[in-house]
Order: sequence, then C-alpha cells, then structure tokens
Amino acid sequence: MLESSTHVGLQDTNGPLSIDRFGAESARIGREIADGYHRYHIETEEVDDADPLPHRFLVKVGKVGLAKLIAKEMVTYFPQFDVILSRPCTYGVFSGPVGGFSPRPKLCVGCLRCEVQHPDFVKVLPNPDLLALGDSYTTHGHIAAIDEEAKKGIVPVRGQGYRGRFGGPGFDGMLTDMSEIVRPSRDGIHGRELIGTAVDIGSKPMHLSFDSNGKLSGSTPEMFTIQVPFIFDLPPGDLGSPQLVKVVDSTSSRIDTLACLDAHTVARLGLDAPNVVPVLDNTEASRASEFPNARLIELRSSPGRSWGWDAAGFEIANAVTDAMIGIRIHFEEGWQNRLTQAVESGVKVIHLLADLHGCGSDGTFVTELFKEAHMLLIEQGRRDTVTLFGGGGIVGADHVPKAIISGLDAVALDLPVLFALQGRSNGSLRHRENVSGTLPVQLDRDWAEQRLTNLCGSWRDQLLEILGAMGIREVRRLRGEFGRSMVVKHLEDEAFEGIAGYVGGDC
Amino acid sequence: MTIIQNISDTLSGKIVKPSESLVHKTTHLMQDGMKARAFGEYEKPKALGDARWTDELILSTWYMAETGEVPDNLNFKTGKSDGGFDRLDFQFLPESDWLEHSEAIDTKLPLNRRGDKKNKIEIDIPWYGGGMSYGSVSVNVMMSRAKNAKQWNSFMSTGEGGYPPELYEVKENVITQVATGYFGVEEETIQAAPIIEFKYAQGAKPGLGGHLLAAKAGEEVAKLRGSVPFVSLFSPFPFHSTYSVEDHSKHLDWIETVNPKAILSVKVSTPHDVDMVAVGSYYAGAHIIHLDGGYGGTGAAPEIAKKNIAMPIELAIPKVHKFLQKEGVRDKVTIIASGGVRTADDIAKAIALGADGCVLGTTDLVGMGCTRCSNCEGGPSGRGCPWGLTTTDIELQEWVQQDWGAKRLDNLYTAMQWRLRDILRKLGLSNVRELRGRTDLLRYIGKEADE
Ligand code: SF4
Ligand code: SF4
Repeated sequence: MLESSTHVGLQDTNGPLSIDRFGAESARIGREIADGYHRYHIETEEVDDADPLPHRFLVKVGKVGLAKLIAKEMVTYFPQFDVILSRPCTYGVFSGPVGGFSPRPKLCVGCLRCEVQHPDFVKVLPNPDLLALGDSYTTHGHIAAIDEEAKKGIVPVRGQGYRGRFGGPGFDGMLTDMSEIVRPSRDGIHGRELIGTAVDIGSKPMHLSFDSNGKLSGSTPEMFTIQVPFIFDLPPGDLGSPQLVKVVDSTSSRIDTLACLDAHTVARLGLDAPNVVPVLDNTEASRASEFPNARLIELRSSPGRSWGWDAAGFEIANAVTDAMIGIRIHFEEGWQNRLTQAVESGVKVIHLLADLHGCGSDGTFVTELFKEAHMLLIEQGRRDTVTLFGGGGIVGADHVPKAIISGLDAVALDLPVLFALQGRSNGSLRHRENVSGTLPVQLDRDWAEQRLTNLCGSWRDQLLEILGAMGIREVRRLRGEFGRSMVVKHLEDEAFEGIAGYVGGDC
Repeated sequence: MTIIQNISDTLSGKIVKPSESLVHKTTHLMQDGMKARAFGEYEKPKALGDARWTDELILSTWYMAETGEVPDNLNFKTGKSDGGFDRLDFQFLPESDWLEHSEAIDTKLPLNRRGDKKNKIEIDIPWYGGGMSYGSVSVNVMMSRAKNAKQWNSFMSTGEGGYPPELYEVKENVITQVATGYFGVEEETIQAAPIIEFKYAQGAKPGLGGHLLAAKAGEEVAKLRGSVPFVSLFSPFPFHSTYSVEDHSKHLDWIETVNPKAILSVKVSTPHDVDMVAVGSYYAGAHIIHLDGGYGGTGAAPEIAKKNIAMPIELAIPKVHKFLQKEGVRDKVTIIASGGVRTADDIAKAIALGADGCVLGTTDLVGMGCTRCSNCEGGPSGRGCPWGLTTTDIELQEWVQQDWGAKRLDNLYTAMQWRLRDILRKLGLSNVRELRGRTDLLRYIGKEADE
C-alpha cells in the first residue's frame, strides 16, 4: 500500500560532512521521501448525469387549490411578503419561475411537508418508473444506490435509522460484527485511514522449505497484488460492447485491479495489458500465447459443453505463456470435484460463478457456496496455494465484505458496471447469457471512467467502514473469517428459542 | 423599507429568523395538517412510511401525540419488517382472567440496583429519552423532550453536543452524555446530572464514530462544543483512552470523583460478544447497561452501517439477559434497550425478552412530526429537517415550539403508558417488573399467518 521512495541516500559529498551540510542533506532526504510518498487512494469526483434515473417522487399540485391559497394569503397577510411567499419546500421544488404551478419533482426528497400542510391540493407519490427498474434480486434500491455512488464517489450517508426489512434472504441474512474498543489503528480520526485493501493473486506455498545451507529449496510465492478486493468480470449478456469494454479496461488500470474480458475482444481492440485478464474457451487454450502482457488468463468451458474441468486445455495454455492460468468454474453439479481436480493439477486462480441472483444450479446462495469452496481447500491443506474469485449476486457495497467473509479473496463485479454507467436493463437479470441492457447513447469515455472509478472508490470506502468497525487492518485478514459475521437465522434461533410458535429457520 | 427588505430576503432565499406571523402561519399549517392526517380526514400519503415505520405507525403516533389515546383504526403496534418485534406477539390470558381496569398497574422502574450510596432513581415509566445532541437537534426539540421527561419523572439524554444553558432548568431529568469527542463535557455538566451516560457506540453506526456535517455546526453549536462555526466535527471511535475493561473502569472512577452521587450508564452497541461487553461493564461499575441495536436512529450514518453492522436489539436482549443471569448479577444491573424500539408494544416485548426498560428516540421525533424521510443529516438543502426537528437552522428550528413539543410528547406517553398497562392487564401482571424475561408470555407469528 505504501509506495515510499525506496532509495534515498546521502549524496556524495566532497570532504568531511559538516553539521550544516548534514542538516541540509537531512532536509533534502526528508523532502524526497515526502515527495515520493504515495498512499493508495481512489480519486473520486462528482460527475453529472448522462441519463438520470427517474426521480424518486412525483409531485402533483392542484392549480386551483394553489391559486385559492395565494389569494387567501394575500388578503390575510398583506403586506408581509415573507409570510405570503413562504412555501413548505426547503428543497426548491416550488421555487421555480412560477412556483408551485410548475413544481420541480426531481428536487423532491419526500419529506411530505407540502402534502401534510396542503392536503387538499398537493400529492407526493413514489415514482413507478423508478420502482420498475431492475428485477426481483437487483432491485431499484440497489440500482439507485449504485447510481448515487457512481455519481458522487462517496459513502452514502443519511439521517434516521434503517428502513428495510429485518434480516432477509441472501446477503441480507448476514450481519457483520464490530468491536467496542479494538481499532485497526489509533492513528487518524477513526483509525480506518490506514486500513489496507490490497489482495494477492496467485499462490503462496503453505510452508517454506530450506536446504542444509539455509537457502530456500521448495516453491516460492507466485503472485502479484491488486489494490482492491474486487475485479471486473466479463460483461454479461449483450453488454460487452467495445465502448463498455474500453471503459472497464481503463478503469481497472486506473485503480489497479483486473478486468476479465473476452479474449477475442482484447485481441481485436489491442487491449493486452497487465490489468486485463483475457478469457479464452478451453478449446482455444493455445491462443494464450497471444497475450504476452497479461498476468492472468482465464479459461472457460467451450460453448455448448458442460462445465467440465479440462486438464488438457490448462496444460496447453500453461505451456505457451508465462501468465498464470485461472479456471472459471460454475456452481453446477459436481463443481466440488472440478475445483479439486483443477487445484490438484496446479491451477492457482479459481473463478467461481453463480447466477446473477447469487445462486448455484441447486438454488444454494453464494455465501454458502463460497464458504464450501473455501473450506474444501482448507480441509485439503491448500487454501493459500489458490486464489478464489467469485461472482454472481454482488450488487451492493455490503456484498463485498460479506462475500470475502464467506471465503473469497476477491469479488467479481458484473451488473454494477451497467448501472454505474446509467445503463438500463430489460427483463430478468438472472442468467448471465440472457442479460440485456442499453447504455446511454452518448457514452463519453472520460465520464464513464470517472463514474466507474467513483463506484469503486465508494465501495472501497464502505469496505473500510466495515473493516474499521471490526478493528481489522487489512482485507486479506477478512477472508473466511466467518466469526466476523453473524447469521440472522442463527441469532434468532438463540434469541427466540422456546418462544411459542418459533420453529427456527423461518428465513 | 421593511416590506422591501422582506420581499428581497424572500426572493433571494436568504435565511433569516422568521417573523412571528410566519411562525404562526407555518406551525398552524403543519399542525393542522398532521391532525387531519392522524384523524383520517385524508387518505394516507402514498409516499409515507417504510418497512420499520409503516404509514400506520407514523400516523398512529401522530394520533397519540394529538389525543393521548390509542387509535381504533390504525395499527399502532407493529411495523412490516418481517422479523423481530414485528413477528412477536403476546399470549394474552382468556378475557375472563384479565385484571380489572380499576386495578392499579405499576409501571415504575428503578434504575440503580447496585445497593450503593449513589442516587436511588426510580422513573414512572420503563423508558426514557435517548441522546440527541444539540446540533443534531435544536434547543427547542431538546427542551420539548426534557420538559416532557420532567412531567413523567423520567429522563432525556443530552447526546454528545454540549449542555445548552436552558437545560439547567430541568437538570434533574437530564442525563449528561460523555462520548468520544467529549463535546460539552465539563465539571459543571457532570455535576448537574443525576445520571451520566458513557456512549461507547451507537447502534446505527457501530464502531464508526460520529460526524456532524459543517452545515449543521453553526455559531451556537460550535460555541457549546468549543469549536469553530461551520467546521465538521468528528466524534472518533472509540474512546482513545480505552483499550480494556480496566480503562473503562477508570472512566467510571473519574466520573465518580466529579459527581459521587451520579449513577452510571454505559451505552454500547450489539456485537457478537455483547454479553461479554455487558458483564464487563457491570464489573467496571455500571448501574445501567444500555444496549443500542443495529436498527436504531441517527442524525447521520452511512447506509451500509445501519443495515449491516451489529445485531438488531431483539436478538441482543435475550443474549445479555441470559448471560447476566448465569453470571448471577442480573438483579444488580438495569438493562435498557434501544435501537428500533418504536411503540408501547415494542417496549413490552423488549422487557419480556429480558430488558428492564427502553430508550426512545425516533418515536419522540415522530410524535413531533417526523415523517422518516431520512434527510436529518442536512439533505440536499444542507439545512436539516424541514419539520424543524433535526436542525439548528435559524428558520426551521422555529417550527417546533417547546410547549407544543412537550405537550405532544406528554400525550404520546400517556397513550403509550395506557397501552403498556393494557398489555400487562391482559397478561395478568400488576407490575411491569414482573414482565422481565417472560418469554413464555410471547408467541412468534410465522409467515403462515400472513397467508
Ligand atoms: S415532499 Fe418535501 S421535498 Fe417534496 S415537494 Fe413536498 S416539501 Fe418539497
Ligand atoms: S429530516 Fe426530519 S422528518 Fe425527515 S427523518 Fe429526519 S427528523 Fe424526520
């Protein structure tokens, strides 16, 4: 995380070093270190909307009612214009050129003062166009949150308490823990300023071996580091347009993470680079040699074939490139065997995939699936020799730490990219291959890159909030820390045990 | 000249202290509107409410604050959050076994059970007002709550924002909070209070500390906090002087030196080891362990924290209650629960789960007009609550007048006490203290009941 100047020594001096000279040299060294100091940070910047979401509320004002009110107030309060002209909205909805006769609903925050004060002629309604966005899993709430995060790049903060349901399915059924007194650091205001979010990709030996001369003899770590525990995954469905691919590529480079992109597209657009992970079909494994700059190449089953482990493909790819070869494994029947076989064959990066509602083919949710994969590797004594990526159902900032707690090293983002760029989806968002969406017609590259960067900055900062509350100083330590989470169902079983009618597992 | 000034101020949007006429007009419109809605004269606003505070819960709270009675035609008991309090109900006795209306039902709650020489405090109702700092709310709101607390022989906590001089008038009913920024913590304010509350964490943002946005840290707020106007103020997390239970004990000793009679409350949130935290606090000398659950209120908190960090209060209470029982100290300490406690029914359920009493925050605000719009942190206007609640804006704060606010809360508490007694009567209990830990009087309503 800290990239300080690595070599700042005394410059050659002619003759003995005087006190004055020593002072000047010390100052110079200090300056150089300070100038060379760089702490990882994602530069966010608020950007305008290209295709704004439908606003949250519709504001309807009866013109006759309003006219009558104004007339009445003119008579009652003349000449007190502060009273006559005062209106209930402090957000400017009625402050346009003709006031309430033409309200500006995009400014409405739903405080309802106008409707309560003037029940005869004002109505504020939730906007059905907003409510219709997304699908049953990726709701309008997720989309609106992503939109705000991508616009502003900050942690969404609001007043009042939680408004949603108690616990819930999927990620909502998991809570994260906190500590009353332990901090990641006593430095900074809240101690979270020094938390690290870097993760290592690749393989570490489970132990080091030395020969009789004390020299390392066994395998050594084979890995590289990215600065955030999330990567961009292959754009699902019809989203992989060259425009979007270029934005994902440049953003991943900017924030120092990875972008999994279709290998043909990478080749066609000339995107081969260390931040890009070309994804090849198994049958094309020999083409791995075409991406000399890649640090990681992923293999997937060829279209039309079941998701089998293809040892031959892996070996071919390994033979033609120095990049690490990762394997994409879908949570379909038998995935555990495929995972084991792949790891036994030396695969160092496994990319696990659920559907976009976060479920495996048997309906199990990813928190359980990631946990099973993580535990399987632990039981085999191999966990640190493999990096686990995972994706499917990650559509909120809280899903990142929860997936890591479940056992992942890093999380793969898919749909959030579409919504960060103010795209719209059509129909169900469950199956990757069927996802259909549209991006704003004028997709300015800089605008889009900043939006995606903002989203990453916001999600990273929210991850810091979670880690800070736990008192954990780096995200690597969160992996598989089930004890840092609480499962609502388990807590309910403990709390409500013995209460009439409580049968447990009612979740 | 005044007319011209008025027109220009109004048209330029300049914020000035509102004239008496403007306060009169606005407060009447707001209050009449709330009343009409509470009485069902108009349909429920379509955009009102959420899963935890439904439209009916908000409107019924307005009704109770208006009339001092519970409504007939609104659900004033539960929300629709699909869990916790909203899936618990009471197992009432057959009607023939209910206590008579004429029978006195005692709702008093002693707060000091240690049997030491400190204040022997008993409140008339098993709840008091939670901390809302000056800055997050106005003096008018603080005084409304404090006056009502006096009326009910109960308390209201200052929160962490200093002690406005007006509060000395009702100091016997005001808890001084000591939190991590130590804002407004002075010898005088410690000595003034019968109860001192150490806030370690807040349920809505556990482990994160607090942040008063610059726009809300105006002249007066800054003065009381010893700061510079319109500069953001942070309450760090945690106490930078606390690394252990021993350090915590040192804190309590320090208060004892300054105010030997004050009883000590320790406010914590609800992590996995909340039971250990509670027992540690007890052994450090706390009289009250105040558990603040994850779904609690706040003037401003990251959305990710409200939903995800730490557990809801319904799940923490039994854990702590049972653990303290096992440790053999349960009867020496008072457990107060907060964070999502909305109604008299919630209070009774919290007590049945093992708490002694509760702390209310959002309920008080809803009683005074809050619609749960979540703009308390400032909202896009930066001015804070348009209802005059969570704001110190010189205009908006005038929309809540102290006597009006205190009267609303008095009415609300009257209705809530009535409902609490109604529950106790139907359970055959003549004393709220007998309800503690009686999970046998609760029942869980499964999803099948929805069908
Ligand atoms: S609901 Fe509130 S924000 Fe919306 S128009 Fe009415 S007064 Fe303005
Ligand atoms: S801004 Fe006011 S009305 Fe809205 S939630 Fe906050 S206190 Fe309630």
